[in-house]
Amino acid sequence: MIANLLTSEFLKIRRKGFWLLTFLGPFGVVALQMVNYGVRKDYLLQQSNDDWGYYLGNVHSFTPLALVLGIAILTSFMASIENETNAWKQLIALPVSKMNVYLSKFTVLACLMLFSSVLLMVFTFAFGLVLDLGSAVPYMDIVQYSFFPFLASLPILALQLWVSTVSQNQGIPITVGILGFILTYSAFFLPDWVIWKWPSLMNDANEPVQNVLLGVGVGCLLYVVGMIDFTRRDVK
Amino acid sequence: MLGLFQSEWFKLRKSKVLPILLSGPLVGFFVGFALRYEANELQGQEWYLTILYMNLTYALLFLPLITGVLAGVICRYEHQSGGWKQLLALPVSRGKVFVIKYMLVLLLVLLIQLLYLGSILAVGAINGISEPFPTEVVWKSILGGWVATFPLVALQLWMSILFKSFAAPFAVNVILTLPSILVINSERFGPYYPWAQPFSMMYIGGNEGDVFFIPWEQLLTVVGGSFVLFFLGGFLYFQRKAV
Repeated sequence: MIANLLTSEFLKIRRKGFWLLTFLGPFGVVALQMVNYGVRKDYLLQQSNDDWGYYLGNVHSFTPLALVLGIAILTSFMASIENETNAWKQLIALPVSKMNVYLSKFTVLACLMLFSSVLLMVFTFAFGLVLDLGSAVPYMDIVQYSFFPFLASLPILALQLWVSTVSQNQGIPITVGILGFILTYSAFFLPDWVIWKWPSLMNDANEPVQNVLLGVGVGCLLYVVGMIDFTRRDVK
Repeated sequence: MLGLFQSEWFKLRKSKVLPILLSGPLVGFFVGFALRYEANELQGQEWYLTILYMNLTYALLFLPLITGVLAGVICRYEHQSGGWKQLLALPVSRGKVFVIKYMLVLLLVLLIQLLYLGSILAVGAINGISEPFPTEVVWKSILGGWVATFPLVALQLWMSILFKSFAAPFAVNVILTLPSILVINSERFGPYYPWAQPFSMMYIGGNEGDVFFIPWEQLLTVVGGSFVLFFLGGFLYFQRKAV
């Protein structure tokens, strides 16, 4: 059943701009560095001896921001597919459980975000090569900077999906997304327990893996809370 | 014209717009308190530094993004179950509908600016800033930031009318707003990027001589020019839109 639901969800998001946004997120993050390095490459290369590390840091300064806003956009988009045509009722009237409906929506979104992380890795690596930053390519760091922010942002994905599926007015989840984005932008000033700090991979222990583990754990928890709330609500 | 404005106002009152408006001062409070200790380091400049820090986050990212949400809320009723048809079947011209909606979004942005001003005052009072409040500078900044959103609101209203879903115009907004973070660091490109203008107009360290914090030429060409472009684009699109 869940396979069929997933297939139908993937069919529903076709030709609506989901894949375009999934591409634009990582592309935009790297494109900003293309402009940055295009305008003042010499200055930026002088800033550090570790050109690759400095470049990855520059890319990573935008990754969490794009991720948090991307999550807000995609989750709201996902909910509005059903909201716009009042299709929630029809969807729930099918012989499927509400839990599986919620799970399939979450899975599709997680797949999209995962795909954009893969793209981010490819783009980061490719533009790094174009910049000719030296032969010692830090492969592990590129993988970490591409996938860790996504894993650490799973709680935000779960929360945003919850808010947008239960909101009639999609202005509310988008506003929540903006506020979360402001928190992510100010991550440096936040205590470690704030979930919007996690995608930045910063913490007091200076251990990015901690954010990833917390992200996956709390993400699952928030997902279950959202799912239970969704199943108990009346469908309008 | 007045009747149209009233009907828009009634729709707005049922749109749960208040939580969205309150997010403005919320951001103000958050930044104001997060940065309290740094602001206290310099005596004699407490107001100046508090406002400078608060504006940095608020004007650079929050204000351009929230204009898009407000523009989307204004078009929400019309996108649901054929509302455009019902509205335009009334004896109103499309041009008037567009202008009224635009003015209403501007009013909401002004409200959010005033609420933000309130949060500045509250942060100052709670942090116990005893210096005289720089009234003129702050009003310049609040109204300047408002003026700088005119073109942004016009584009967002256009996009909100164009797309049925809420997220699509917001995605356009995000794509155009995020580069501001880089653009404001550039002396060459910063003055020409419309989405960086709210920041420039609210940046209280700017040019003190003019009415606002940016030169008149920049205000007229960048803000004015992009306003004319986006407003006419949205206006003409709406005239031809099939409902």
